Amino acid sequence: MGEASLGFLNANQAAAEGAITAGLKFFAGYPITPASDLFEYLAKKLPKYGGVVVQSEDEIAAINAIIGASWAGAKAMTATSGPGFSLMAESIGFAAMTETPIVIIQNMRAGPSTGVATATGQGEVMQSRWVSHGHYGIVVLTPFSSQEAYDLTIKAFNIAERLRVPVVVLMDYVLVHTRERVVLKKPPEVEVLERKKPTKPPGEYRPYEPDPEDLVPPMANYGEGYAVLVESMAHDERGYYAPVDDVYERLVKRLVDKIEVNRHMVVESATYHTDDAEVLFVAFGSVARSVMSVVKEARMEGKKYGLFRPISLWPMDEKGLRKAAENAEQVIVVEMNYGQLVREVERIVRDKPVHLVPLLKLDLPTPEEIVEAARRWL
Amino acid sequence: MERLEIMIAGRGGQGILLAGYLLGLTLIKHGYYVVQSESYSAETRGGDSRSELIVLKEQGEADYMRVRRADIAVFMYGEQLRKYSDKVRNDALVIVDSTFIKPEELREGWRSILIPFSRIAEEQAGTIRVANIVMLGALARITGLYTLDELKETIQRNVKPGWIELNLRAAELGYKVAEEHGA
Amino acid sequence: MAVIRNIHPLDRFLRPERLPHMWCPGCGIGIALSAFLRAVNELEEEGRIDSRKIVFVTGIGCTARASGYVRFDAAHTPHGRAIPYAMGVKLANPDLIPVVFSGDGDIVGIGGNHFIHAARRNMDMLVIMVNNMIYALTGGQVAPTTPEKIYTTTTPWGNPERPFNAVTLAWIAGANYVARWSVTHPELLKNSIKKALLMEGFRFIEVLSICPEVYGRHIGFRSPVELYTHLRKVVKIRGKIRPLETEYDWERGITLGEFVVRDEPGFVRRLMEVVKGGKA
Repeated sequence: MGEASLGFLNANQAAAEGAITAGLKFFAGYPITPASDLFEYLAKKLPKYGGVVVQSEDEIAAINAIIGASWAGAKAMTATSGPGFSLMAESIGFAAMTETPIVIIQNMRAGPSTGVATATGQGEVMQSRWVSHGHYGIVVLTPFSSQEAYDLTIKAFNIAERLRVPVVVLMDYVLVHTRERVVLKKPPEVEVLERKKPTKPPGEYRPYEPDPEDLVPPMANYGEGYAVLVESMAHDERGYYAPVDDVYERLVKRLVDKIEVNRHMVVESATYHTDDAEVLFVAFGSVARSVMSVVKEARMEGKKYGLFRPISLWPMDEKGLRKAAENAEQVIVVEMNYGQLVREVERIVRDKPVHLVPLLKLDLPTPEEIVEAARRWL
Repeated sequence: MERLEIMIAGRGGQGILLAGYLLGLTLIKHGYYVVQSESYSAETRGGDSRSELIVLKEQGEADYMRVRRADIAVFMYGEQLRKYSDKVRNDALVIVDSTFIKPEELREGWRSILIPFSRIAEEQAGTIRVANIVMLGALARITGLYTLDELKETIQRNVKPGWIELNLRAAELGYKVAEEHGA
Repeated sequence: MAVIRNIHPLDRFLRPERLPHMWCPGCGIGIALSAFLRAVNELEEEGRIDSRKIVFVTGIGCTARASGYVRFDAAHTPHGRAIPYAMGVKLANPDLIPVVFSGDGDIVGIGGNHFIHAARRNMDMLVIMVNNMIYALTGGQVAPTTPEKIYTTTTPWGNPERPFNAVTLAWIAGANYVARWSVTHPELLKNSIKKALLMEGFRFIEVLSICPEVYGRHIGFRSPVELYTHLRKVVKIRGKIRPLETEYDWERGITLGEFVVRDEPGFVRRLMEVVKGGKA
């Protein structure tokens, strides 16, 4: 790898570059707006890095192909938007259950259903966490610039590989249609992590037996002689179906707890003028950039506004949010849906009034529109 | 410079999007942080084409991702000038292609510069298709945001091989004509 | 309790500690699995395959439970998704040999679209579809392979649907190898698997099986022996016959045999060729 270079990229291209830097070797996808140009970018570029890009017959095939590829030893990814993400739901749970490292880029557009394919939205705050049935752990990261699309895609792979979890990078229509300067850092300037390999010989190795300190089992790939069983049913440490209370409880708790235990490598947030903020805004993604303008302009008029921006959406930086809200008289959540993130903020900030500013608009809201929508509390 | 907003608009086929892209690349090489978005109608020729750039010193200040009131506006065609004048500041620097735009169409208060980019491209570079690059050459001189050499480097690295020489010449023509306009 | 290991030559491909298996007495799946294991065993003894390169992928259903009993690299995927999973395995590491071993509902019902497209791409994998003509694990609902007029729990008036002839489907979609056998002829099945394992591209082997507990009950053959004997009468081995001429009819007969043997380049080879020779 060489030195950092400068790119002028939209978030799709930046995420693709981040994936290549992280060591992506397999991509499967199905065309969908606004994720197709990420797919096309990789289709052209990834083979030059020894990787494979394939178009599958649907998103269900794409997600299962990347899970299979991951077990065959490749860092694997797919990219989609809301409708495709919904189709992937079952097998995102499969990846969580089998502790398979995969990365999913999800470019949000206006839903529900087919919605408006060429418009932005943030309707998948809750879906990204609970997309599949049952209880499991998952990580969701949300960039608000091309630079973060690059950086967070690398981080997504690091988390996926090290914690053996599916990681979603939740972007939006505006981000993937805006070019920005990106500093493309390469190792050793940027950290690239690999999955933990077994230390025990094939006879003794158990594919779901965690290391006690991080709760993550080392991962043997296919073809390495371990005869690993990737089991979608509830299983014990060997991968054997075990419909018994203690095994089931141990498994589900660990699928969730391993992310909690490793929170330090996941949780991330950013603040903007929050130290003395009396009005704290909470927003993420492209709309957070509009809220930044609201805060900046209010500060020029002497109004004490601030912005807390979750970068890891799931799990969120709860401590960071509470600290940012410390001096606030009220918290205002701005999101492009009819109230999702606000529920999580209400749960975390219990001693302040939390207001919702839902923006059901098809294009990026202007700062003026946000101020107008929040006027009754300002 | 806090935040500088640039808008380039014209009709489809005038190379507006390419101009915006090359301008962004050049500004980045110069050391700025640049945010660029574009909008265009479905038709490749004749429809609307608009490129917006936000130029900042530091990434940390990159807030709202769209142009609100342009500080610098370039109009390559009259229809778009009429359509997007309200997105331009009252005291903006407005550069227009006088091949297609008459002086009386310009608003008072604007610092307006009229240069016949398309005519120059056609008569002196041999094709109207490089009017966009003539404009970028002029913009270098008028704004001082980047140098002619930086623009030429961008062209050399990003334009298809067969078109490089022609584009370099177009950039030089634009720079020179802006000089003659006293910019 | 002491476990006696390796009392059978195929034990090295099994996880004997998981026995007894969950299949009902008289079920045909064990015969199909045994044919596969014997094929691998023979090929390995002949030095023609490395069994550690096999990835045994199943979906959901009775047949799909086999992934839990074999000692290969394996996966028990969500319902219908064994084929795309196997595609990912193969493309990420072309040295591996993915084998999809699953039921008719899994392969041509819920996974039907994947089946068609994997065959169309000539995706390098062997698909063994054990066809018991019914959704057995869930209690006997109609399958895309259930013959017409048959009673099932979701077609209590008789099945109004026409079944898939998976042989013609695989052939028309572009598979390199297409054969249909039956648990009534395990030796022929084993030989076919041996041949298909060594080929490239998409290889499809359908195995007619017996499900005395569910399908047999529906058609009035409760005894495995009776059902087995009846199936022997239904199936007809035909040589040199084209896929379109095969029959899939519980009354008129079901054609067994090897119907397609093609040597077209598999997807992996095609992909490598276009990437190496092309310009993007």
